[in-house]
Amino acid sequence: MGLDRRVFFKLLGATGITLAIGKETAAKPTSKSEIEFNGILYDSSRCAGCRTCEYECAAAHGLPEPKAEVEVIRKTDETCNTVVNTYQTSKGEVYMKRQCMHCNEPACVAACLTQAMHKDKTGPVTWNGDKCMGCRYCMVSCPFDSPKFEFHSANPKIQKCDMCFERQKAGEKPTCVTNCPNEALMFGKRRDLIKEARRRIYEKPDLYVDHIYGERDAGGTGWLYLASVPFEELGMNTQLQQSSYPALTKGFLYSVPTIFVLVPTLLAGIHQATKNNHPKVEEDEY
Amino acid sequence: MDGFSYSNIFETKGIEYLVIIAFLVLLIPFWIVLNKQSRMTKQIQSALGVLSAKILRIPQGLFYFRNHTWMYMEKTGVAKIGLDDLLIHLTGKVKFSTIKSSGEMISKGDLLAVIAQNGKLLRIFSPVSGTITDTNSMLNESNGELMEDPYGKGWIYKIKPSNWIAETKSCYFAEEATDWSAKELERFKDFLARTMRNYTPETAMIIMQDGGEICDHSLSALPDEIWNDFQREFLNPDQLQMPAK
Amino acid sequence: MNTNYQIALDHDGKSIWKFLLSELKPKGKFFTPFNIISIPVMILGLALIVYRFIYGIGSITNLTQDTPWGLWIGFDVVTGVAFAGGAYVLTFMVYILNMQKYHSIVRVTVLNGFLAYVFYAGALLLDLGRPWHVVNPIIGNSFGVSSVLFLVAWHFLLYMIAQLIEFSPAIAEWLGARRAHKILSGMTIAAVIFGITLSTLHQSGLGALYLMAKDKIHPLWYSEFIPVMFFVSSIFAGLSMVIFEGSISHKVFFSQISEKHHKEQNYIIRGLSKICAGTMFAYFFLKLLVFIHEQHWDLLNTPMGYWYLLEMFGFVLLPMMLFFYSYRTNNISMVKIAAILTMLGVILNRLNVTVIGFRWDMAIRYIPSWMEFIVTLAVIFTEIWIFRWVINRMPVLRDSPSWVNEPK
Repeated sequence: MGLDRRVFFKLLGATGITLAIGKETAAKPTSKSEIEFNGILYDSSRCAGCRTCEYECAAAHGLPEPKAEVEVIRKTDETCNTVVNTYQTSKGEVYMKRQCMHCNEPACVAACLTQAMHKDKTGPVTWNGDKCMGCRYCMVSCPFDSPKFEFHSANPKIQKCDMCFERQKAGEKPTCVTNCPNEALMFGKRRDLIKEARRRIYEKPDLYVDHIYGERDAGGTGWLYLASVPFEELGMNTQLQQSSYPALTKGFLYSVPTIFVLVPTLLAGIHQATKNNHPKVEEDEY
Repeated sequence: MDGFSYSNIFETKGIEYLVIIAFLVLLIPFWIVLNKQSRMTKQIQSALGVLSAKILRIPQGLFYFRNHTWMYMEKTGVAKIGLDDLLIHLTGKVKFSTIKSSGEMISKGDLLAVIAQNGKLLRIFSPVSGTITDTNSMLNESNGELMEDPYGKGWIYKIKPSNWIAETKSCYFAEEATDWSAKELERFKDFLARTMRNYTPETAMIIMQDGGEICDHSLSALPDEIWNDFQREFLNPDQLQMPAK
Repeated sequence: MNTNYQIALDHDGKSIWKFLLSELKPKGKFFTPFNIISIPVMILGLALIVYRFIYGIGSITNLTQDTPWGLWIGFDVVTGVAFAGGAYVLTFMVYILNMQKYHSIVRVTVLNGFLAYVFYAGALLLDLGRPWHVVNPIIGNSFGVSSVLFLVAWHFLLYMIAQLIEFSPAIAEWLGARRAHKILSGMTIAAVIFGITLSTLHQSGLGALYLMAKDKIHPLWYSEFIPVMFFVSSIFAGLSMVIFEGSISHKVFFSQISEKHHKEQNYIIRGLSKICAGTMFAYFFLKLLVFIHEQHWDLLNTPMGYWYLLEMFGFVLLPMMLFFYSYRTNNISMVKIAAILTMLGVILNRLNVTVIGFRWDMAIRYIPSWMEFIVTLAVIFTEIWIFRWVINRMPVLRDSPSWVNEPK
């Protein structure tokens, strides 16, 4: 039948185009743009625990001023983008600054169904209040528990470090970096920061633990860490997988089109085959 | 992924979802057209004249009686009576004569109508008792074309039944009617096989073709002795007294 | 006879609006035990919901920054949807495999499934921080296609539409709309195929939601096979719910069900128990395979390990054997016990993945507040009220009106 053939060819054409596009994207190495990620290198050995970055960050973002006296190990929350914790270790007091890690392939961005969480090509992961529905799936997915939610607000927002994205667009460096008195924070291209970190480890092998935290953790993060004691002692999770978290859902999401194509066809076929069956119901089985 | 610039492993997902939607939308016409064959086969079959249970029309909401009449109770309390599709397929085009007229009272088993084809007759007896309220005058005038629609325009009488609850106890309804019609067709084939033995071979040629399927309007090719036998075995009033199962 | 082409039948001369209004009046006694319990709960639930919208989610829940999802997601959405799986399994059996013996329960199961999805999707809106933005991923303001939740949300929406189409012939029969009935009945098979495909994906999708929370869920429950597990367990979860709910409806709505269907009931339950037994047998071995694959032998000797063994043996293997045994010995009451055990097992499994096993190593565990329970109960009771309203008016349990099978 003429109509039949036409429909068949249309379908064939659509399939062909999909395969062609798919193949093309897979064949290209990666969408190589000229823009590379920015990042921040935090050197714990240079950090004095003065917490100036906390105060400056709160002031710049309109958050409440941090308390002066703190004793326990803190986490960030909906009123606070970053904390600097003090750890008593074998090498004395060591400080560790925590905030959003701005991963290369963020779990929160993959998780967000409204694209409220967005990974900019320059690096920062930002939150868009106009799109967010407050589903908190980003919080479930983030291995670092960075996004924090305003549970007690009628119009809750997600609070986390945004790497001072607005300042970066204006050509400036993030607030914490510019205000650190000891230059513990360094801002630059991620590629250069890793080189710098390696250089520091190489020049002072007794000072640093030979590991850059964030180089490959969770597939690589924008925030990199150097420390003088093992990271486990500083409250960092070193058991994280070394590949990106969104890759965990890739298998499932890519089976969706396959199922959508195969299952309806299969079901329609079975229906066609069985629809003229007239099963007899035995009376004595009641 | 080199870890220094932006890459998106889900880049093509948006396009993929669009293709899936296109596929599902195209699948519907694709499937419908692919399977249109079967209706064509049915039409060809009936054109060739092979009578099988599949082409019988048996609306599910009617009462069917063992003498191949049907009754439909309307909300107003008046019932319509007519002949079922199987009978029409067996006889082919017939001329109608209604015996009773509007206002007459009849009992179950009374003669209602006579259908005739080239001098061969079949008598139709009433399945219920009651008062006739209307007769289908168009039936008497037409050439039997109204029998193309035996359940619609082909109704014979409108009757106000007087005892229909008791009298419809022994009739068929819904899926039972479909099963019964198929069985009646088989019974008719047996009937033909039996009577064939009593008559000349010319009847045998018309009946048996395609491995046992009979052709449409089989009775029209047969002589009136067979019509009388058919009347006795299938349409007589004693049929109405027999239990439904 | 004349063929009717009205959209709505003349109901004793009343217009369609008067008819609808009259249908809103309650039928039957008002002060039944169920009503007495459910009405205060529903009112309290409504009050709590209003409070939640004024003062934020944290005001009535115990959710924290580390456990952002609690009872409402873990139980209402994830478990509730698993139980609604009976709809796709039954429509598969009746419309695709043409197993006509189950035809009489398809409608009520589809109704149940539809109401479950509507109410649990509604409950989900309560859990959102900014529910008014829920239109964003729908109207195209922003499609987060990389997100499993995007897929799940869209599937919910499409599946509700498919189920509505599957159920709509019953509505058409209630309204007497013959033309609409004809059109809608023709669309049933397409809606069924679409619905089954969607179900396959979103039942497993609910499991896939947790794939990125690899470090947060206890290793005995986390694996890359969570989606497959959720899908398989939704089959017997749905069927157990059909058995359970069927037994209750049978007693409550006894008068509506025809003689023929009464006799069929036990026959159907036996058939379903056989299917459950088979599926649970496969599921048990799937779980075993995954356990071996993940190599967490040492974890079995911990408190969570015992809990895992309890779930596997007490609530999967045991009901499976009960189903098996009751099928062979035709013991209907044992089937019902097995169904209840299975349902408890599914609840346990879902809660283990989403709440109990999620962040199991925290010092202060998440325990839902009494207010979360009340809201959950209020949602369930409201769903039952609507269910009862529909059953009492539309031809779901009783037979369709006679005009359905008239000549066209």
